[in-house]
Amino acid sequence: MRILLAEDDTMLGDGLRAGLRQLGFLVDWVRDGVAAERELAAGGYAAAVLDLGLPLKDGLEVLQTLRERKIATPVLVLTARDAVPDRVRGLDLGADDYVVKPVDLLELGARLRSLVRRSHGQMSESLRCGAVLLEPASRQVSLNGEPVPLSMREFDLLHVLFLNAGRVLSREQLEQQLYSWGYEVDSNAIEVHIHHLRRKLLPDLIQTVRGVGYTVPRTSESA
Amino acid sequence: MKYPGRPTSLQARLLILLLGLVTLVWLGAALLIWSDARHELDELLDGHLAQAAALLVVQQTHAEDDEVADAPSLHKYAPRVAFQVFHDGQLVMRSANAGTAPMSTRNGGFETVQLADGAQWRVFVTRGAQRDVLVVVGEQTDSRSSILWAVLRSMLLPLILALPLLGLGGWWAVRQGLAPLRQLSHLLGQRRSLALEPVDLPNMPSEMQPMVQALNELFERIERMVASERRFTADAAHELRTPIAAIRTQAQVALGAGDDQAQRDHALHVTLAACDRAVHLVEQLLLLARLESVPVNRSSSTDLRTVARRVAADLAPTAIARHQALELDADRPCRVVGDEMLIGVLVRNLIDNAMRYSPDGARVLVRVMTEAGKTVLRVEDSGPGMTEAEMSRLGERFYRVLGSDQPGSGLGWSIVKRIGDVFGVKLQTGRSSSLGGLAVMLYWPATK
Repeated sequence: MRILLAEDDTMLGDGLRAGLRQLGFLVDWVRDGVAAERELAAGGYAAAVLDLGLPLKDGLEVLQTLRERKIATPVLVLTARDAVPDRVRGLDLGADDYVVKPVDLLELGARLRSLVRRSHGQMSESLRCGAVLLEPASRQVSLNGEPVPLSMREFDLLHVLFLNAGRVLSREQLEQQLYSWGYEVDSNAIEVHIHHLRRKLLPDLIQTVRGVGYTVPRTSESA
Repeated sequence: MKYPGRPTSLQARLLILLLGLVTLVWLGAALLIWSDARHELDELLDGHLAQAAALLVVQQTHAEDDEVADAPSLHKYAPRVAFQVFHDGQLVMRSANAGTAPMSTRNGGFETVQLADGAQWRVFVTRGAQRDVLVVVGEQTDSRSSILWAVLRSMLLPLILALPLLGLGGWWAVRQGLAPLRQLSHLLGQRRSLALEPVDLPNMPSEMQPMVQALNELFERIERMVASERRFTADAAHELRTPIAAIRTQAQVALGAGDDQAQRDHALHVTLAACDRAVHLVEQLLLLARLESVPVNRSSSTDLRTVARRVAADLAPTAIARHQALELDADRPCRVVGDEMLIGVLVRNLIDNAMRYSPDGARVLVRVMTEAGKTVLRVEDSGPGMTEAEMSRLGERFYRVLGSDQPGSGLGWSIVKRIGDVFGVKLQTGRSSSLGGLAVMLYWPATK
């Protein structure tokens, strides 16, 4: 899952980026409000962690602009402003979660996963498609109850497809959600990962819609 | 707040003073009247004695019998008066209570003597028309005393009766008079501990107005102090959240690094740096809090050049590490008002800020000079400088210039300003004409 981290404090930002990466998130880090707005508008992020006291443009203003522009990316506000009126204002302006510094990394990860899940209309933490079960928290995938080892990239790809079950995602959309900045993406990287997933799990789990993209079917059990 | 051993009630004090004064005046008056009455009484009774003697003298000239006559006692006071008439040294007439021995040995005039009966007598002796007749008239002094006592009693008795009444009346009057004070203390006593709104009493007596006004001013000052204290605490707690969040996050990253030795090392190093930053912030906070509460010795003076040299020497390693050129231009000693430690903190904050907010390789120039009798400290840098808006926000606690990547506390300028205020130093900021960055000028008041 690709996350945008907007935090102006070098030490904290560095720690959050490293910590969220350890938890399997793909993290892009910006240090001011203008950059945060630009990146979120460009899309591709499953969620954003937004500090409020940002240089150039305050976090709340960023949030307001995003919502006015109908950009629905879930936003978790992470701030030192702990007064209740601040929280209320943040949530009213469109924040999906409001966390006061300092925060536990594991909790932050869980909150982000929960935001992503809810934004995709999923009720439970684990995602199922037929015989395949995907558990985002432990980054485990199992087939008929048997764990299947996947590479990080493969897991992320499957996770995105599962979250968007029933929708067709183009190669570009998948790339945007799977690769953070400064990463050279091979033109056939997605195809290679899809191929591996089909081989490791089920050949007909991921369907190709020729000329459009890939999809997994929405199943009634995915709740 | 009671002073042991002293009457703490204003009412009791007033009452005691009032009653004491009344008693004293009354007693003084009684004493005066008593001495006056005694004097008058003495004159009057002495006059009577003399007149009685004169009568006896006149009478004696007609009495020719040789027998000693005893005069009859006609009044209850009669035993208190006595007379003797001698003719050629022979007692010829006497009152019943007068002995045979002459009451006085004098030849004429008044005398107070003690007679055989043990009582004090006032005696008047006079000679008759013929020199052979001697008349002695006496009167017990007791009678005079009893008259005087009666006078005194008539003075003191009303006082003794009046004192309790006066006490009661005085107590009531004082209580009425002090009612506004009691009202005020009741009003103050009812307040919550931090209720600091001004006191308002209807119909306040003019004597109390200055006190209540001073009290209200005090309340206002305390309120301002409490508010600033609250804001400070809130700001401080708020500002500490970020470094603490960084420490926590980095420590967690180090824990979760697994086999990644490089990541763990990096996270631990940042953890340490974040701890240093939190310590720096706490130190600056404490310094500022101390500056705002402790009165500072304004009479001390220090050599600005020595201080600037010491601070520059301390900061030089940091400047060298960042390839910054730190220069000090101070050709002679400059004594300025100010405590050495505090002036050191001030200079350090200024130079530290100039270095911190200037890029690597920048120039920082510190100058100590004299301008029109005033000592001036100039700190200039070749950094990005500040806009008007940024300069106007300087000194707000925790204000940091946006976009600067430096882990400053945001308190340095507050500290500089506060120390400057203490020693009457004028602060000015502008753009450095020679280096292009920020220029900070400090003007000390001219020393005599």
